[in-house]
Amino acid sequence: MPLDPTLHADDLRAWYGSMPVTSRYTVGPAGERFFRAMKDAARILGTRCGRCNLTYVPGRLFCERCFDELTDWTEVGPSGTIEAVTVVHLDLDGALLEPPVLMALVRLDGADTVLYHRLSGVDVADAKIGLRVEAAFRRLEDRTGSILDISHFRPAG
Amino acid sequence: MSMRRVAVVGAGMTRFVRRAMETPKELAWHASRMALDSCGLTLNDVGGVCIGSAPDAFDGVHMKGEYLSDGSGAWGKPVMRSYVGGGTGVFLGPHGWYHVASGLFDVVLVVAEEKMSSFYPHAQAAFLTIFDHTTERPLEPNLLWIFALEMNRYMQTYGISKRDIAQVAVKNKRNAADHPCAMLGEANITVEDVLNSEVLAWPVQRLDVSPVSDGAVAIVMAAEGVAERITDRPVWVQGVGWNLDTAYWTNRDLAYPEYVERAARMAYEMAGVREPRKEIHVVEPYDPFDYKELHHLEGLLLADRGKAPELTAQGVTARNGAMPVCPSGGLLGVGNPITAAGLMKVAELFWQLRGEAGARQVPGTPERGLAQAWGDLMQVGTVTILGTQRPS
Repeated sequence: MPLDPTLHADDLRAWYGSMPVTSRYTVGPAGERFFRAMKDAARILGTRCGRCNLTYVPGRLFCERCFDELTDWTEVGPSGTIEAVTVVHLDLDGALLEPPVLMALVRLDGADTVLYHRLSGVDVADAKIGLRVEAAFRRLEDRTGSILDISHFRPAG
Repeated sequence: MSMRRVAVVGAGMTRFVRRAMETPKELAWHASRMALDSCGLTLNDVGGVCIGSAPDAFDGVHMKGEYLSDGSGAWGKPVMRSYVGGGTGVFLGPHGWYHVASGLFDVVLVVAEEKMSSFYPHAQAAFLTIFDHTTERPLEPNLLWIFALEMNRYMQTYGISKRDIAQVAVKNKRNAADHPCAMLGEANITVEDVLNSEVLAWPVQRLDVSPVSDGAVAIVMAAEGVAERITDRPVWVQGVGWNLDTAYWTNRDLAYPEYVERAARMAYEMAGVREPRKEIHVVEPYDPFDYKELHHLEGLLLADRGKAPELTAQGVTARNGAMPVCPSGGLLGVGNPITAAGLMKVAELFWQLRGEAGARQVPGTPERGLAQAWGDLMQVGTVTILGTQRPS
């Protein structure tokens, strides 16, 4: 019958294939400035739209709301507030994560947008919306100009 | 048809380049902003956004329509992305037209973007997985190879020579020398240059093919009653058409693009064009390869089968000829960021029909132009006809 399930894939003429994709991404002119400041000086920069009264982090080239070019760069953080958090128990392949991993949305002080990042150094029970956190940067020699130059966020103070 | 009439009222494009520093969304923003500025509008005037983009694999973002949306002015607006392979850029004609003609939107921003340089090491590899995984992928085909088969079939069916075809590359690359956004304009290129270029897959040589490119193009479309308030020279959408041949590319007529003819007939009927060779004054057919311009002129019924090379040799298709073809410089000269290249052709008609094409301007006062693109696995034809006369 059509669509009868088979439990014996090896009995069929089946094989494994892949769709290989390698991309070389650029960060763009705004990204160059943002990631260079993070790599060289452990500073987090946003761009401000005066018309919309918004500060975007990472700094962007244009305002998505009014389409103005953004040239007003401003430093934000490194402290901020947890806006959302989850405790991840299984990895992408379904294997148990021990200990579990905390992933959070962080609104840095001075920013109107949030960053998605790891949260560490806090008990699961204390990982709550509203928690004050700060960016933990990798050491200068380990920074590459990547969002992972912030290794994680940790409780502030 | 009880639909509203629709006009193009603004257009903008980035330079087409080999490796853009800008991100795809930044490219889209540059073109979109230019298009809005060109007609004095802001995002507040835009009701909906139409995005066209080819394989996600190029930019390396699965969900490219959503990814491009902020650069395309779609924040907080209804947005729709279309994708019919290389045909997408000209398909944005019907896509945008539908949005406005239906009465849903008075003004739409229509945006095409492609950043092919992201794909590493070469964008051709993105095409490995468009083929049937059972019968074709084990043979590792790529687009150059299958178009080499088509080009050879076209040549042998009609007795066309490589030299006949090379004239198209020369014409378009020379035309592109007058385009400020072009990446391969060559004012002094010769047929010998094309015939002496590297052989990729016979009969396709390096200069028979358009380059891998990055770029973006945007146009603004508006409804009757609104368009006339935005500009005193709206360029009207007179006809749109599209058509798909069998999904089995191997079983198609390789010497004649039936699907282009069907798309053209749909657009001609809507535009009321009965004698296209007299009524189309400027043509931007899809020319990713030089033979494709000829192939497509025949499918568009603008040349007899196998006779388009003669029109080229006689100068009919030159910028100052009786029927200028690819006065922009086309994909061969301006560049080929897939979807953006298609919409560039629509934008070129807009500029030509308004007399704003600068050094590229065709002589006389053209009243109607046709843009066409082709794509998917060489099986889709898309056509947009623009004109200075408001459709009755």
